[in-house]
Amino acid sequence: MRIGRTMRAATLAYAALAAPAIARGQLGVQRQRNAPSVYAITNARIITVSGAPIERGTVVVRDGVIAAVGAAAQAPADARIIDGTGLTVYPGIIDANSTVGIGAIGAAGDAGRGGRGGAGGGRGAGPQQQATPSAPNSIHPVGLQPEVATVDLLNADADALTGPQSAGITTALSIPSSGIFRGLSAVVNLGGMNSQAMVVKTPVAEHIGFTPSRGGGYPNSLLGVFSALRQTLIDAQHYGAEQAAYAKNPRGMRRPEPDPSLEALQPVLARQIPVVMEAGLEREIERALDLAKEFNLRVIIAGGEEADKVAARLKSENVPVLISLNYPRRPQASADADPEPLRVLRARVEAPKLAAKLQAAGVRFAFADGGLTTWNDFLPNVGRAVESGLTADQAVRALTLGAAEILGVNDRLGSIEQGKVANLTVMRGDLFGGRVSQLFIDGMPVEIRAPANAAASAANGAWTITVTLDEGEKPVTLNLQQAGEQLRGTIQGALGSSQISNGSIGPTGDVQFTATVTMNAGTEEARFTGTINGNVIRGTVAIVGHPQGTFLGTKPDAAQGGRGGRGRPPAR
Amino acid sequence: MRSYGLLACVALASIAGAQQPVAKTAGPTLIKNATVLTVTKGTLQNTDILLQNGKIAQIGKNLTAPAGAQVIDATGKYVMPGIIDPHSHTMADAINEGSLSVTSMVRMRDVLNPTDINIYRQLAGGVTTINLLHGSANTIGGQNAVLKLKYGREADEMLFPGAMPGIKFALGENVTQKNSQQSAQAQGRQLRYPATRMGQEEILRDAFTRARDYKATLDEYKAKAAKGDKTAIAPARNLELEPLVEVLEGKRFVHAHSYRADEMLMLLNVAKEFGFTVKTLQHGLEGYKIASEIQQAGTGLSSFADEWSYKIEAYDAIPYNVPILLSHGVVATVNSDSDERARRLNIDAAKMVRYGGLSDDEALKTITYNGAVQLGVQDRVGSIEIGKDADVVIWSGHPLSVYSSAETTFIDGEIFFDKQKDLAMRDQMAKERAALEAADRGRRAIVP
Repeated sequence: MRIGRTMRAATLAYAALAAPAIARGQLGVQRQRNAPSVYAITNARIITVSGAPIERGTVVVRDGVIAAVGAAAQAPADARIIDGTGLTVYPGIIDANSTVGIGAIGAAGDAGRGGRGGAGGGRGAGPQQQATPSAPNSIHPVGLQPEVATVDLLNADADALTGPQSAGITTALSIPSSGIFRGLSAVVNLGGMNSQAMVVKTPVAEHIGFTPSRGGGYPNSLLGVFSALRQTLIDAQHYGAEQAAYAKNPRGMRRPEPDPSLEALQPVLARQIPVVMEAGLEREIERALDLAKEFNLRVIIAGGEEADKVAARLKSENVPVLISLNYPRRPQASADADPEPLRVLRARVEAPKLAAKLQAAGVRFAFADGGLTTWNDFLPNVGRAVESGLTADQAVRALTLGAAEILGVNDRLGSIEQGKVANLTVMRGDLFGGRVSQLFIDGMPVEIRAPANAAASAANGAWTITVTLDEGEKPVTLNLQQAGEQLRGTIQGALGSSQISNGSIGPTGDVQFTATVTMNAGTEEARFTGTINGNVIRGTVAIVGHPQGTFLGTKPDAAQGGRGGRGRPPAR
Repeated sequence: MRSYGLLACVALASIAGAQQPVAKTAGPTLIKNATVLTVTKGTLQNTDILLQNGKIAQIGKNLTAPAGAQVIDATGKYVMPGIIDPHSHTMADAINEGSLSVTSMVRMRDVLNPTDINIYRQLAGGVTTINLLHGSANTIGGQNAVLKLKYGREADEMLFPGAMPGIKFALGENVTQKNSQQSAQAQGRQLRYPATRMGQEEILRDAFTRARDYKATLDEYKAKAAKGDKTAIAPARNLELEPLVEVLEGKRFVHAHSYRADEMLMLLNVAKEFGFTVKTLQHGLEGYKIASEIQQAGTGLSSFADEWSYKIEAYDAIPYNVPILLSHGVVATVNSDSDERARRLNIDAAKMVRYGGLSDDEALKTITYNGAVQLGVQDRVGSIEIGKDADVVIWSGHPLSVYSSAETTFIDGEIFFDKQKDLAMRDQMAKERAALEAADRGRRAIVP
């Protein structure tokens, strides 16, 4: 006992001394004060993307920048040389819509929260229960604070970055928050001396999700989401006009009240930065485009599962799509389940074909993880797009220069050209079918480690549920698909058959969604609020005009999964 | 047994029809030799109807088909106007924004789901127009959407052009959350104001007082700007109060969910005080008690055909509600409020004949013309008259018979449901499913 305690004390003391080194190491780049900063990868196949592939050549990296590239490029004398025989060097892969680097990921504490004392403070959210971050001094509710910024919240630790790094990703567009206005994103490199050093560009875009507030306050439905968005944008327009009038001639005019939330929307309204809107289904995309049109916003669609159905409009309005690689997956259906609706089946089979369809229609696109449950699927799912008609060159471009163009960072990222940031994804073999060998991020080598644990998605699958209402017990089957914080799916059984909507899942497994249900007295909207814990889902059902009901169910096929554990949703 | 078979037919059809875009039928259609239930102008035997350019172009005997017209022999069949459902929650991705007591800023048109399979099922029940309403969670709910059920088209194409904008109000139990009070208290959740009918009246009065103030602020600004005052800055638009100002100005209809006579009278009095007319009372199961008052207020009523005593507020409901209201000159309709009942509204109308002693035409009006009046589209739809929209349905027999079913449903002269085509599509859908399943089998399932 005593020895143990001494050991622990010694370990703590060591940890304190070594803290700065660990902090650096946590960001995934083995950078030391005297680490070499010149590297040459020789004899490699080089896919520059901006120009023709080089079958056998050299890439020289110096002080974070690509110093030379070509078949004839020479490794300088001071370079550490990497023999690239059998390797293919690509520009660093960009995940074009992600939450990488934001607090909720990984198990690390919140040491690196950048002095953001106000974040989550006073909201009863412990470090494990990462709430949607709140902007300091905002007069708007959480979820409607467009000023929340990735640059203030970056909290990348080694464990959080190993996953995307293992998928060959060097760079991500990182979104700060969830909810409706999700805040200002940044393009970040997945390594650096500290979280601020990761930032390549900020702000890149304002992000809009259409997820109703989970607390029950306004807006708690998709209806309210749209009116809240509309009113906030109208208020921002008015705020801009008032501020401009006051700046021009302050005397005699009542001083307009400052409002950081409305202030943050000014560059959005002025089309200086785009808005990324999460929209998957055809109707969701149409609604997003309509809203953008109403306020003359530059829009990018994220998710875009049915973007092919809106391709003509996307093309004519020059709207790019950040394609989600989180393709729908087949749930293990119980034997007595109803046959899947044709649209669900279609969506699953058609998903990998989307990129090729957008390519053919002339719609610009990039790829994004879309809340993938395991990073191991990232490149293989791009591979499935290639199997489904996209050429490999087109896919590579979308992962690199194409993404950089959409995100407005193609002056520094996206291709292997002299003078650009030395972000490289080095594959043994090809990007599709090969293995990620090494990354360079800002010119520093990153070794690939297996992700700490591939998080599984808590909600995915078929749930057998009993809903207890005033009209009795109703057995239903709930098929859920989780993508990040979004939940989609269907409900089938004694309450009729419908798609769920407004679905979301929080970091502690709190879930909510609405479904149209068939009751004795008519069609009603049922609001389900509950939690997922392991393979158990339970909660309450609110239907206007009826006493509150409850629901309880299990995922029957989860038992043999062996995952056990708590119902913690994926860390992403 | 026979009607059972028809139901099964519709259920299958719904799978077959899923997401099949309907091609625009460009040309005219001549329906030959039908029994035409015009609803407003009696029944015409052995009559032809020409649908052209989206309108009912001609009605008469032995009409000549124009070049390129599709001719349908409707011998032995009935043609009636498309059914209008004055109270629907079909094709919405959300129904209630129940967080606040006043949510006049939310709009059903923001959450339309044009792929809802219930659209197709209702077409198979002869429905062509719906009044999509916000739910009844709060005193002042959201803005409605009047829609034509053009299944396969985009949501915007389904909005009924020229229909009066409306807004949902709600009174009574659903708003007071009487049914969920105990559970809310048990969980320590705060109850939303108001918890009584008194509070509902106060909410209405408060909201319209604020709307008046807002209108005054707008008018004040307009006056300043008109005088050339350069320091005047336009007030920010208030999306909550804008639609209420429209109500005050008579530019937006109020459709008010209500059950009891006392709460309906309260609303009519508040409306009178603020100088607007309530367009319809929705449900209004005790409307028969105050039929004269409703008629004098210029208000219509849309009721259930039955659902007697299904909840406390409905204890005094009687089968004769709609007939009594009609006899007092109230524009009364029968609505579904249900995806299920919406595709059998013809049967709900038939109940008015069976229980209320209405004539066939009066009963049919409760699901057609009267609904058009309640939505401000009576010049466009609701009856078979020359010049009206070609929203008509061919029925296998008289639509007030349980043995009849809709065979072909036209909207603006285009076919959006056709039973024969539906049957033919099933093979095609089965083949698609087989192909998709084969493609899907190659991939592993989710490991839970």
